[in-house]
Amino acid sequence: MTIDVRTAAVSVEGLSRRYGAIRALDEVDLTLEHGITGLLGPNGAGKTTLLSILATVNEPDAGRVSVFGLNPRDPAERVEIRRRLGYLPQELGYHRHFTVAAFLDYVAILKEVTDRGRRAEEVARVLAVTGLEARARTRIRALSGGMRQRLGIAQALLGNPDLVILDEPTAGLDPEQRLRFRELLSDLPGAPVILLSTHQADDIAAVCPKVIVLLQGRVRFAGTPAELATAAVGRVWAADERNSRAHLSWRGGDNRWRHIGDHPPAGAELVTPTVEDGYLLVSHAAGAR
Amino acid sequence: MSALPGAGGRGPEAAEHTADDLLISYAAGTVEPVIAWSVEAHLTGCAQCRSVLSAHVDADRLARNRSIILVRVALPETGWARRLLCRFGVPDYLLRLLAATPSLRRSWLLSVVCVLAVAAGEAAVVGHGWNTGPPVGLARQADPAALVPFLLVAPLLVLAGVAAAFLPMFDPAYRLAVAAPFSAFTLLLVRTVSALVVALVPVVAAAFVLPGPGWLPAALLLPSLALSALALAAATVLNPQAAAVTAGVLWVFAALLLAATHVPLLIVRPTAQVACAVVLCASAAMLLVRQNRFEVGWIR
Repeated sequence: MTIDVRTAAVSVEGLSRRYGAIRALDEVDLTLEHGITGLLGPNGAGKTTLLSILATVNEPDAGRVSVFGLNPRDPAERVEIRRRLGYLPQELGYHRHFTVAAFLDYVAILKEVTDRGRRAEEVARVLAVTGLEARARTRIRALSGGMRQRLGIAQALLGNPDLVILDEPTAGLDPEQRLRFRELLSDLPGAPVILLSTHQADDIAAVCPKVIVLLQGRVRFAGTPAELATAAVGRVWAADERNSRAHLSWRGGDNRWRHIGDHPPAGAELVTPTVEDGYLLVSHAAGAR
Repeated sequence: MSALPGAGGRGPEAAEHTADDLLISYAAGTVEPVIAWSVEAHLTGCAQCRSVLSAHVDADRLARNRSIILVRVALPETGWARRLLCRFGVPDYLLRLLAATPSLRRSWLLSVVCVLAVAAGEAAVVGHGWNTGPPVGLARQADPAALVPFLLVAPLLVLAGVAAAFLPMFDPAYRLAVAAPFSAFTLLLVRTVSALVVALVPVVAAAFVLPGPGWLPAALLLPSLALSALALAAATVLNPQAAAVTAGVLWVFAALLLAATHVPLLIVRPTAQVACAVVLCASAAMLLVRQNRFEVGWIR
């Protein structure tokens, strides 16, 4: 992924953050342009820490962050970043006694939309976008997990933000809701910068023109999903039996074993790698270091 | 509908209907209000004109307006307190922010009233001697020791209400508030001042029914305010939870010390009141000077 740092909407250089003895982020460099960027990585890779720093919630120990040319270390510029931000934390808490509309109204106020009429317009807009119109008067405690996740996405879209940071937005969504979510992201007006953290490689393949793989607090890959899949070309095999010499083996839905590695078992056939294959290979390589 | 300007345009009954160009203007929202009302009055009873109008209405705009109306309906402005505050000019968005404050919720207030009732009830029963013999009336000269539980608990309840209004652990959507541009200090003030006022009302009311000095209700104000302000000021240098706990522990220690030295009512004396006033002013000054700690603080 070749991006000019000077023109990137968001750039990060040498970003580090520790929690006690744990190094959550280790000299992370990355840039984001307008459009959707997927952030892939296992639990504990540092995704949530990176996203919360970009969302100006957490403070880094070291490194430089620039969001639309604004420096979050400067209090005034940090507020300006927040004015242009939509953020869905990984574990968003809700005021459970609020109705869906009241919660969105509350978040709209936090986003400085104090005019009552404008707030109602914004709340109506995001309810329509996320398909929650019929739930406007439902109390949050009565919503299912998937509905709450949609509500979380809805609040992030209030105010048409220029930077949308979504931490595991598809967690808890059923397949149909995930499809709808992908469609929603693709149709967002104004070409915002969207950073989407997920475990789901197929979400990345479906909606993200760019993908970053974060492992053990470091960026291990940055490029297009096709380039990530290409990293596994010639190293993914299908066979009828398990191969103990493969880096990774698992049984697929067709009851055949899929192997990632350099030593194909006898009778194995080479298959076209997916984004997930590329991700698993990069993860394995990083773990082997 | 011949009364309407520009009537006609649809067959032999044209004079009875609204003109197409007027309907187009109405659909675009460009007619004068008085004319619009006349058109609406006619549309109510004329299916033919409604049918003509529907062809000129922007469906997206209609859907948008419908959604906005549904949202407005879903955000009712009920409750006497809300109406009262609105009448006093409190902006509606501040009231929404208050709705997210746990210490302003009915369940919290009910708990406060129950705790106060127990403490005040104990003081009233013991202080009036109702449990030891014949009633001695409502004379306010009573055993000061009977007031110890109430004096210990009352300012702590006020502090708890204030703490619940500003501690992150009581705000499930705290991370959203941090990542939002709304002034954190304004949010803090709005919530804590409201929580303070609401908590002081039952405390002062309970003090009225107790034996003891006549100005006990008023005398409780300064310690309660000082304690809450101290917690807020301490939160500019300490972890907010540690600040609230420290203020609470200090109060418990002071109240128990006074009880142990048999002067529990020292708090109502002028010297103690002046001391509380000094703590209150110093804490308020520190809070104002260090308000940026709330505005700019990132979560560590």
